[in-house]
Amino acid sequence: MNWTASLGTLAVALGFAASLIGVLSLAMGIRSRQERILKSGRVYAVLALGSAAVAFLAMERALLAHDFSLKFVAENGSRATPVLYTFASLWGALEGSILLWSLVLTGYTVAVCWRFRDRVTDPLVAWATLAMLVVCAFFFALMLGPANPFRVLSGVIPADGRGPNPLLQDHPLMAIHPPFLYLGYVGFTVPFAFCVAALVTGRVGEGWLAVTRRWTLLAWGFLTVGIVLGAWWSYEVLGWGGFWAWDPVENASFLPWLTGTAFIHSVMVQERRGMLRVWNLSLLLATFSLTILGTFLTRSGVLDSVHSFTESSIGVWLLTFFGCVVAVSLGLIAWRGDRLRSPGRIDSPLSREGAFLANNVLFAGFAFVVLLGTVFPLVYEALKDEQITVGRPYFDRMTAPIALALLFFMAIAPVLPWRKASTELLRHRLLWPAWGGGAALVVSVLVGARGLGQLLAFFLAGFAAGSAVRQLVLAARAARRNGTSVFGAVVGRTNGGMVVHLGVIVVAVAFVAASSFSQSNEFRLDEGQSAHLAGRTITYLGNERTRSARAMTVTARVRVDGGQVFTPSLNQYISTGSTIGTPSVDWGLRRDVYLTLVEAPKAAGDSAVIGVVVEPLVSWLWAGGLLMAIGTLLALVPGRRRNPIIPVSA
Amino acid sequence: MTKRPALVASIVIAVVLALLVAVLATRDPAVNRVTKSPLLGRSAPAIEGTTIAGAKFSLADLEGQWVLVNFLASWCTPCKREHDDLLQFANVHAATKDASVVSVVFDDDADDVRAFFAERGGDWPVVLDDQGAAAVAWGVPKVPETFLIAPNGEVVLKVSSEITFEFLQEQLELLRSGA
Amino acid sequence: MRKLAWAALLLVVVGALVIGVTDRDQASDADRAHRLGETIMCPACSGESVTNSQAPVAKAIRQRIDALIDEGKSDQEIRDTLVDSFGERIVLNPPREGLAGLVWVLPVAALVVAVAGLVVVFRRWRVAPSTEVSDADVDAAARARQAEGR
Repeated sequence: MNWTASLGTLAVALGFAASLIGVLSLAMGIRSRQERILKSGRVYAVLALGSAAVAFLAMERALLAHDFSLKFVAENGSRATPVLYTFASLWGALEGSILLWSLVLTGYTVAVCWRFRDRVTDPLVAWATLAMLVVCAFFFALMLGPANPFRVLSGVIPADGRGPNPLLQDHPLMAIHPPFLYLGYVGFTVPFAFCVAALVTGRVGEGWLAVTRRWTLLAWGFLTVGIVLGAWWSYEVLGWGGFWAWDPVENASFLPWLTGTAFIHSVMVQERRGMLRVWNLSLLLATFSLTILGTFLTRSGVLDSVHSFTESSIGVWLLTFFGCVVAVSLGLIAWRGDRLRSPGRIDSPLSREGAFLANNVLFAGFAFVVLLGTVFPLVYEALKDEQITVGRPYFDRMTAPIALALLFFMAIAPVLPWRKASTELLRHRLLWPAWGGGAALVVSVLVGARGLGQLLAFFLAGFAAGSAVRQLVLAARAARRNGTSVFGAVVGRTNGGMVVHLGVIVVAVAFVAASSFSQSNEFRLDEGQSAHLAGRTITYLGNERTRSARAMTVTARVRVDGGQVFTPSLNQYISTGSTIGTPSVDWGLRRDVYLTLVEAPKAAGDSAVIGVVVEPLVSWLWAGGLLMAIGTLLALVPGRRRNPIIPVSA
Repeated sequence: MTKRPALVASIVIAVVLALLVAVLATRDPAVNRVTKSPLLGRSAPAIEGTTIAGAKFSLADLEGQWVLVNFLASWCTPCKREHDDLLQFANVHAATKDASVVSVVFDDDADDVRAFFAERGGDWPVVLDDQGAAAVAWGVPKVPETFLIAPNGEVVLKVSSEITFEFLQEQLELLRSGA
Repeated sequence: MRKLAWAALLLVVVGALVIGVTDRDQASDADRAHRLGETIMCPACSGESVTNSQAPVAKAIRQRIDALIDEGKSDQEIRDTLVDSFGERIVLNPPREGLAGLVWVLPVAALVVAVAGLVVVFRRWRVAPSTEVSDADVDAAARARQAEGR
C-alpha cells in the first residue's frame, strides 16, 4: 500500500469533488440568490486549494525521498540528481506540470474569493467564481484521468530512477521559469472568468473592468517575466547562442502575451471613452483560449519542439476543453455582444484612442501571424498529406514590419492627447524624441550596424525611448511643482507603463542586435593555441575529465581576451547515454562571448573543437525584461487621481 | 454594413476554429510521423566511395539487380537489432543471386564499424561516407534507414525504422510481381 | 526654428540610413553558407537550422552546402538539391506557390482587410453625426411644448 500515492490520489479526488460541488452550489446560490449558499463557494475554493497543496507536497516528498514505486518519480527522479533539480523535476514532466497548474489555479481562485469577500452576493462575483471552479474541476479531472501523477509502478521497483531530461538539470533557471510562466498563464483565468460573468449578467460596463484590469496586468507581468526567463534559459542551455527560435512552445507562450498586451492598451480607451467593450471582452476570452490552445500544442506532441513534453492522450482532453472554452466564449459574444456594444465613437484617428486602435490591430495581426505559422504545417499536412516547415525565417520576416510599426506607435502614442490632436502639436512634442531616434541611429551606424531593417529599428527604438523619457520627465516636473516626491512621478499606470515601454525598447534593440550582428565559428585548437573572432581572442588551455554520480564530464578551459577562464563542457549522462553540452558564457555589457565544447579531445593532449559565438547586447535582453517587470510593479501601484469606479456607462 | 457585427464575427470565427480543431484532432504525434521520401520512384542517387575493406565501390556496378541499401552506425541500437535480419536477407539472396546488400556508414568511425561487422558477420560492401555526402544525397536524417532499389535503378521502398527479414521478403515479392 | 530642427533631423536620418544601407561588406562564401544554412532545417532535430545544430546530419548538410557553393551553384539551386533528397520540409521557409503560398498571403490579406475596416469605421464615425439638431426637430419640440400647455 503506497501511502504517498493514496494520499495524493485522494487529494486530487477531493479537489475535483470540491470544485464540482462548488460549481453546483454556486449555481444554486445564483439562482436562489441566497447569501448563505453563495458564501459556501468560498469554502469549496479553499478546499480545492488545500487538496492541490497536499497533492503537491505529497509529490515533492516522493521525489525528494526517491520513492521509485511511483511511476512519475521513477521516470523523473534519480538519486544522482541534485536537490534543486529534483524539486524542480515536479514541473519538468507532464503530470507534475498539471499538478503545478492546479496549485496555481486554486490559489488564484481563493485569492479572488478573498479579494471579493465583501461582494459575495454580487452575481458578477458569483459567476466569476463559478467559472474559475469549472476550470479547476477540469484540471483536477485531468489528474484523475490521463495525467495521473500518482500512478504506481506494477512489478519491480527500480533501485534508481531515470532522472530528468539532461537539458532540464543543466541550469538553475529550470527552477524559476515554469513557476513564473504558470503564474502568468494561469493568472489569465481570472479575467476570463470575469468576462464570462460580465456577459452572462449583462453587466459589461466599467464595473467589471475596474475589477479585472489589475489582475490582468499582474498575470501579464508574470507571463512577461516567464517568457524572458525562458529565453534566458534557452540561451544558457541549448548551445547555439540563440534565445528565440519561434519554436511552437515559445509561440504558445507568446500568443496570450500578445493579446494580453493589446488588452492592456485598449482597456484605457474603454475607461476614458466607454468604447470597445465587446472588443475588450473578446480579447480576454481569446487570451485565455490561447493559453489552453498553447497547453494543447505543448503537451499533445502534434508539433515537434525542443521544448516538448512527452505526448499522451491528454491531447484529446485539452483539445476538447479548448473547444468548449471557445464555444462558450463565442456563444456568449454572439448572444450578448451586439446588445452590449457601446455607442461611442472615436473623433479623430490622430488621437490617443486612434493610436491604441492601431496598436490593437497590430497586435491582433501579430498574434494572427504567429498562430498561422505555428499551425499551418498541420493544416497543410491534413489537406495534402505532405510535410512542409514554417520556421524561424518566416516568422522573422513576417513579424519584423509589425514590430517596427509597433515601435513607431510606441513613439507617438504617449504624446498624443485624447480625442484629437493637430499635426502642429505633434511636431512640437515629438521633436526631442525624434532627435533621440536620430541620435540612436547615428550611434548605431558609427558602431558598425548595417542594414535597412536593423537601422530603422534602432531609429524607432530611440524615438520611442525619447517619447517615454519625455513623459517621465514631465511627470517628474509636475510632481516637483506639486510638492510630491519625484518617486511618485514614476508610480501609477501611465508612468509605470512608460518604464515598461523602455523595457520593451531595450529588449527590441537587443533582439535586433543579437540576431543580426552575431558572429560564430568553430575552431580546432591544440592546447595553448588561440583563435580570433570579432575582435575577441580565445585561448584553449586544456581539459579535464571528471565523473559524478550522474554524468561523465569533459570540461575545456578557455581563456577569453587574456582574462577570465571559462569552462564549456560536454556531459555524457550515465542513465540515458546521451551527451549534452553545457555552454559557458562570458557576458558583458556590450557583447557576450558564448563558448561551447563541440568536440572533446579524444586523448589527453589532443586538440579540441571550441565553438565561439560573439553576440552583441545579449545581456540587454535580460536587463530589459527586468525593466519591464519593474514597470509592471510600478503600474500596479494605485494611482491617486481618478477614481476608477466612476462609471462612464452602466 | 451588418447590424449585428458581433454575431457575424462570432459565427465566422467559430467556423474557422471548428476547422482548426478538426485538423488538430486528427494529427498523429510528431514522433510517429512517417515522412515520405522524395526519392521514391526516381533513380537512385549515386554511392561512390571506399569500403571498410579498402575496396573501391560504386552503386552503378550493381545495376540490373535488386539492391538493398542500408544506412547504419555501430552505436545505433536498432541497427544492432536488425543486423541479423539483414544477414539473413543477404545470405538468402546471395544463393539466388538476385539481390544484394550494401551498407553505408553514417557518422561513425571506420574501426568501430569493422569491429561491428567482425562481431556480427556480414560480408557485403560497407561504404564509408566521411563527409556525409551519401547521407545527404539520400535524405537520411538518422539511422537506421533502408532503401530498396529495383533492377531498373529506381528507388521503390524506404523504411525508416527497424526492418525484419519477413517484411523485406514480403515487400520484395510485392514489388517484383507489381513491377 | 522648429522647422529647421526637423529639417536637420531629416537630413541626419537620411544620411545615416544611406551610409548604413550601402556601406556593407561583400558577403563572403562563409557568410553565404552561414545564411543559407539558417534557412535549411536539420531533419533530425526539432526545427533547428543546420547552422545552429550539432547533429551529424546537420554537419553533413553544411559540408554539402559548402561543396555546392564552391561549384558555383546559386542559393535556389542548392535549396532545390536538398529538397530533392529530403523533401520540401527541409527548407525552413514554406514554398511560395500552391496551397503553401497561403501562409504568405493570408497575413498581408488580413492587414489589408484590417486597414480597410479601420478606414470604413472611421468614415462612418465621422459621417454619422449623433447630435445634430435639424429644423424639423426644433419645430416638433416647439409644437410638443405648446401641446403640453407651457
